Amino acid sequence: MRRTLAVVAGKTTGALSRATGRGGGTTFPGDVARAIDRGVLRKLAADLTGGAVLITGTNGKTTTSRLVTALLEGLPARVVANRSGANLIYGATAAAVARAGLDGHLRADWAVFEIDEATLPLAVEEIRPRAVLVGNLFRDQLDRYGELELLAQTIQTALERLPDGSHAVLNADDPRVGEIGLNLARSPIWYGLDDPAVALAGLPHAADARTCPRCGASLRFERVYYGHEGIYACPNGDFTRPEPDLVGQRIELDGLDRLSLEAADVRIDVPLGGLYNVYNVLAAFAVGGALGLQPDFMVERMRSAAAAFGRQERFEHDGRRFTMMLAKNPTGFNEILREAERAMGRHFLIGLNDRIADGRDVSWIWDVDFELLAGRSDVVVPTGLRAHDLALRLKYGGVPAAPPEPDLGRAIDQLIEATPAGTEGFLLCTYTAMLDLRALLVQRGWLRPYWAT
Amino acid sequence: MTRSGRDGFTIGWLYHDLMNIYGDRGNIVALLQRARWRGLDARVLELGKGDHAGMADVDVFFFGGGQDREQALVYDDLLETKAVHLAAAVQDGAAVLAVCGGYQLLGHYYETATGEHLPGIGLIDVRTEAGGRRSIGDVVVEADESLGLHPATLVGFENHSGRTFLGDGVRPLGRVLRGGGNNGTDGTEGAACGNLFGSYLHGSLLPKNPHLADLVIERAQRRRLEPLDDSLELAAHQRIVERELARRP
Repeated sequence: MRRTLAVVAGKTTGALSRATGRGGGTTFPGDVARAIDRGVLRKLAADLTGGAVLITGTNGKTTTSRLVTALLEGLPARVVANRSGANLIYGATAAAVARAGLDGHLRADWAVFEIDEATLPLAVEEIRPRAVLVGNLFRDQLDRYGELELLAQTIQTALERLPDGSHAVLNADDPRVGEIGLNLARSPIWYGLDDPAVALAGLPHAADARTCPRCGASLRFERVYYGHEGIYACPNGDFTRPEPDLVGQRIELDGLDRLSLEAADVRIDVPLGGLYNVYNVLAAFAVGGALGLQPDFMVERMRSAAAAFGRQERFEHDGRRFTMMLAKNPTGFNEILREAERAMGRHFLIGLNDRIADGRDVSWIWDVDFELLAGRSDVVVPTGLRAHDLALRLKYGGVPAAPPEPDLGRAIDQLIEATPAGTEGFLLCTYTAMLDLRALLVQRGWLRPYWAT
Repeated sequence: MTRSGRDGFTIGWLYHDLMNIYGDRGNIVALLQRARWRGLDARVLELGKGDHAGMADVDVFFFGGGQDREQALVYDDLLETKAVHLAAAVQDGAAVLAVCGGYQLLGHYYETATGEHLPGIGLIDVRTEAGGRRSIGDVVVEADESLGLHPATLVGFENHSGRTFLGDGVRPLGRVLRGGGNNGTDGTEGAACGNLFGSYLHGSLLPKNPHLADLVIERAQRRRLEPLDDSLELAAHQRIVERELARRP
């Protein structure tokens, strides 16, 4: 009874929030429902006929969740998922409430939730998932989360409490994730890459997990794919990268729009770009495998998966094409810069905010290799609440940039003016800067609201 | 004349790989570029675990913050392979800027929550106690008059739970107008003594405080530097000062 009331109240809140144009109602209905029945998510999750998958890690949660959702929807099955980065317990609750009937029961077979790393223990306890994926652990928003060490401990605790028969699916190429998995009593399912052709020359500055968890020696990287993802070992033999159960090989990267790799004796083609998306695809493939999905089926689903997802969005205006990309930490930012470089982009708007969801501390921009843009860009417009910090970062990186323009609207106008017709401009933004930017583009009629996509 | 030769300028980056958690590279980049823009032949000497070669030629040492695990890893190395050389270089006129964890390690000791004293290298007359509440947020400091800084403010972002107390032998970098500073109680932030500077501010500290960056370089060079066009730096600085002072303390 209480749960029914919670669901109905939550649904009403969501409908009101959308009707009054206050956004998609992505978390507030969850607050309301939980206030009425604290156990509402636990009860709704028990209604799932298939089960739940939780996806966590610093980068790539949204894309990987969407890939796993696409796989499960092909079964066919009814899948409930949280979107738009609403990845705290309230966001998951709101998504479940939205898919529940007025009798208070969830109308779905599977749930795929992206979950904030710090929320994982609570989510595991309430949702009792069939599988948990940990994609990577990078430095991100230290002001909010504390240090990586603590976060790794939190994730490990959550994985130790997984129900019997559930799987931990872990990225073997990430030393922090490797450390977590090797500490678990149950063996995880490991995935990783094996392709020297896409490796970097060395560790980038933003890489962080560089020491052996056992003896403290600096890890030797035989290969680095991006950030600190690669093939690593302790020089004293105390810690080595776990042997992956699922190996991604013979990778082909084709601009922003296509990637391809081989895994489990099949070739996977996906309409997404970037090496970090190779990891997201392989991760989704590993999760699907853990849930018993067949490789051929997954290949088919991934190929037809909507190209529109990922955190990359496009719009066109006045004969110019614009790509928006979310960048929220040094490693993510470096990958996006690499990708824009591959796409020969020369026109950029970079938006930096310091609200809570972005991380209030903007120091991390000094760990991003903005120097990549020096000599390779025609215009860079720094914008957002911390446009001035960004402008300084660019100045000290030797990147000629426009004066800081905190007003997003004027910054977009500048970018459009500076981007010649027939070319592509890039808008790289932190989380809330991206939300502001989207809202502005929706207002101008260049984009649809995200709850309508 | 610099320690690294006529037009040379060497920045010694202590534990570049382990103690660089809060965008500390920004401080290195600021020192490097501001020296280069003055026509100096500036370079960075990375001083990882076990390294001490070249420390005698360093003009400015930078020592950043790290996570607990990394801080514990550098601890023994600092005492065994760096302390002697660092003290000798400072004696000889090198400047040191230490932020957060590095600042704590340059003091007399760090007292853990259980009362254990971890000795630091005692280069700066401060001591640190494991703290209660973590200070996290933007900080605005009114710079100590003895530094002669213009503008007379410093800005940055702090994130620490250690509480540092100043001894008689040092001045604070300044007094906090917003934020916690050294210990959240006595209103001081950072420490300055001759060529030695300690602070809890990152953000990064030096790019948005170009006057402090130049002061550190000048103390190492023992001469005045010609001014640069710092309008962008000072606009970024002023923006934070105004935004934070508009908030309630």
